[in-house]
Amino acid sequence: MTENELRAAFVRHEVLTPPTGPLRAAIDRVVAVRRRRRQRLRAAGVALAVVGALGVGIPQFAPRPNSPDAPVVAGPSTRVPTGALNLLVLGLDTRADEAPPLADSVLIVHIPADRSRPYLISLPRDLEVDIPGLHRDKLNAAFAYGAGPEHPDRSKGYDLTRRVVADLTGVRIDAGVVLTFSAMRKVTDVLGGVEVCLPQQIRSVHTRRVFPAGCQRLDGSESMDLLRQRRGLPDGGQDRDRNAQRVVAGMVRRAGEKGMLTDPVQISRALVTVGPDLTVAGASLPDLLRVVPELASVEPVGLSLPVVDAVPRLRADPRAAPAFLDALREDRLDRWAAANPDGVTRLG
Amino acid sequence: MVTYEEFADSRLAALLRYAVMLTGDPHQAEDLVQETMVRVQLHWRRVARADSPERYVRRMLTNQYIDWRRGSWMRRVLLRAEPDESVPVGTDHAQSSVDRDEIWSWLAGLPRRQRATLVLRYYEDLPDAEIADILGCAVGTVRSLISRALATLRTEYVEVCS
Repeated sequence: MTENELRAAFVRHEVLTPPTGPLRAAIDRVVAVRRRRRQRLRAAGVALAVVGALGVGIPQFAPRPNSPDAPVVAGPSTRVPTGALNLLVLGLDTRADEAPPLADSVLIVHIPADRSRPYLISLPRDLEVDIPGLHRDKLNAAFAYGAGPEHPDRSKGYDLTRRVVADLTGVRIDAGVVLTFSAMRKVTDVLGGVEVCLPQQIRSVHTRRVFPAGCQRLDGSESMDLLRQRRGLPDGGQDRDRNAQRVVAGMVRRAGEKGMLTDPVQISRALVTVGPDLTVAGASLPDLLRVVPELASVEPVGLSLPVVDAVPRLRADPRAAPAFLDALREDRLDRWAAANPDGVTRLG
Repeated sequence: MVTYEEFADSRLAALLRYAVMLTGDPHQAEDLVQETMVRVQLHWRRVARADSPERYVRRMLTNQYIDWRRGSWMRRVLLRAEPDESVPVGTDHAQSSVDRDEIWSWLAGLPRRQRATLVLRYYEDLPDAEIADILGCAVGTVRSLISRALATLRTEYVEVCS
């Protein structure tokens, strides 16, 4: 009896069911918004690693550590470091709605002891790595594991990624930068566009914009669009990493043209603009930045860790990677680059 | 493989009815289905690979409903200051409709898992094994959830009638 009453109560209330048409449209709208947001953030992750590398290019007049607006934190040390330096730059994909953020751009900026020029070394985000205390996963996940799910802690995410990168490469990381959304567009605005030189034509699968082979000036949204392109490139994510290096090279060049490298007002304005979107780990970044005037050239050399496919991930190439990492550890990337011209990204 | 569009064409209305039975409220039902179907569409390839996409989606929707504390949809619904239009429609049989409405409001006070179990058995007419699969629990648990719910219903029903 009770059961029949239950059935009847359910059936009688079927008339409460609203029509599906408006709901269907609302679902499609929300999906479109979330898809756009995801793409935008993923592009921003790559772009922001670029900005971090630019930070290394800017800086001899960076605000003093005691300046209230200083976006970088440091002790009162004025020691200029000697020897080779490695800066870890992470570009964050902050998927606002769900998972903790992934570091989709992982870049080591290597400054050799002879201060000849900076080297940008991309580590592919799909690289399979050992995550301490956990299991094997992709490199970009280390940040998420470290940061934690509920209230992601960027400094912990950075720490775990730094350990993974140090274990993987055997390289000492002297300092690091974590960049999030929105800095890319701001800095591109400050720079008034960036010149990028591509070895071949790229057609955006998102906007259908065509980036011709050769050099071109891109504004903020265009360079974001370029950095979003991964599918359809012969080498996928690794080609995207190379494009990121090309954008960095263009930004450093542009900063030089604008006199930004020697204009303290412009520099501090740029740093204040980027400030809140910048997290710095390791207390000696200003010390590191003081190295830049010593550089013979700020024109960077783009390199990538040699990898092999291990679908769906990538592994360090067992034949080529050890020699590359030896060269990085022993600070002789110039000779490695000369001996492996195919491993050098054409930036100009 | 079925596309998202085909799935929505054929199953959206049934899912919405199911959500109305779970929540007892058309607005909450819409929000619940919207939140679920957004995730379904974003992850359609994974959903379509399931043995039964419909059961997979029903499980997503049911979990979303049961885990309301962790989800956002209930919070959104509660914060929205719209008038409650969930007044059940009347029937000609005045007295018996009152009795039935007692059941409907009694359902509103049930723990969510119990209510979901009742809806799955007495509205969707699913076998206990499938209900267990959707709720992610043992068949024995389904049966005890139902008998507990029916026991309290009988007690209250007697009180109402006497």
